[in-house]
Amino acid sequence: MVTSRPWLHGFLDLCLLAMLGERSDYGYGLSQRLAAAGVADVPGGTLYPALLRLEQQGLVEPHWAASGSGPRRKYYALTAAGHTALAEQGADWRRFRDGIDALVGTPVEGSAR
Amino acid sequence: MSPDPDDDGWPARFEAELVRLGQHPARARALAQESVDQAVEAGSDADRLLGPPHLYARHLVSELNDVPAPPGVGGPPAPGRVLLRLADVGKRYRRRVVLAGVDLTVRAGEVAAVVGANGCGKSTLLRICAGLTRPTSGTVERTRRVGLVPQDGGTAPWLTAAEHFTLFGAAAGLAPRRARSTGEHLAARLSWRPAAGQPAQDLSGGTRQKLNLVLGELHSPDLLLLDEPYQGFDQGTYLDFWRQVVAWRDAGRGVVVVTHLLHDLRHVDQVLDLGSRPGARVAAVAR
Repeated sequence: MVTSRPWLHGFLDLCLLAMLGERSDYGYGLSQRLAAAGVADVPGGTLYPALLRLEQQGLVEPHWAASGSGPRRKYYALTAAGHTALAEQGADWRRFRDGIDALVGTPVEGSAR
Repeated sequence: MSPDPDDDGWPARFEAELVRLGQHPARARALAQESVDQAVEAGSDADRLLGPPHLYARHLVSELNDVPAPPGVGGPPAPGRVLLRLADVGKRYRRRVVLAGVDLTVRAGEVAAVVGANGCGKSTLLRICAGLTRPTSGTVERTRRVGLVPQDGGTAPWLTAAEHFTLFGAAAGLAPRRARSTGEHLAARLSWRPAAGQPAQDLSGGTRQKLNLVLGELHSPDLLLLDEPYQGFDQGTYLDFWRQVVAWRDAGRGVVVVTHLLHDLRHVDQVLDLGSRPGARVAAVAR
């Protein structure tokens, strides 16, 4: 289940860095992981420019690999600068998340979802 | 059956729009190929996955242009090697002093504007930069590959745009086909598609200036010298022109542009003000 709210805006880069920190991946793989995590259905027109931007910033590094079928795939891996950015943005995110949690509070036990 | 002009496909239209927006043709080609691959891997077509080609091109370019370049990675290079250096240059015609004590250094990745009142020697200075006029005093060093776009044009009235491309290309050692396709690429960046068979004398003043601009850049010069190249341009073309200047700079070329429009100056790195009298002052402006 994917949230319908536009919450991802501003956090897409962080999500991409985090997923690539786990393992290198290609565009479509990343979009499926985002969807599977229930975070967002990111349109290709948003995802691919974001990846190119990270590449241009030197945070990720592409390499090409053959796929079982179809065209070769452009895989991305985190660079050292990417790991640093991930650590910094991850800390920002946790501060932000804790702040929101404090404002929204915790759901009452047993409340309907 | 003639081919439908709208049917040249998503990648071609995407690539053309990227080029028009100032991306390097090779980069545009690579991005188009990448987008096609992305559509295939997503089991979709490019239009469904990424949207209409011209809109996606603009979105992509604005995303990439917003990036503050980290040191040493991508982005416009820091000003580099010296492409042009004038030291204490002066020019006299008999008793009349046209220029005196002009210093100007232009490096790769820089745009310099030359401003001043009519008759202050702007065009003479540009000709000195190009090596067409010898200064009376001072020294000039310049890179080998220089492109000059003169104000009054150097086009032949009875030749078509394609013939100009071929002719000027031949002077730079380009094969005719390559010269023509390069010329058409460059024209497209100025939103101009030369009509076959139309001689230059039948072009509007603005379009003839576009032809001049394309001819000045046809041989990929490292240093471009432009003498008010936008006379007769409409607003849209004028913006295309400045986008192009910025793209040249970001591609590591040097540009000297003679201008009298002061609002142009936000695009430039340095201003050489020739004033109304001989004797030059250089002012640096923030980018």
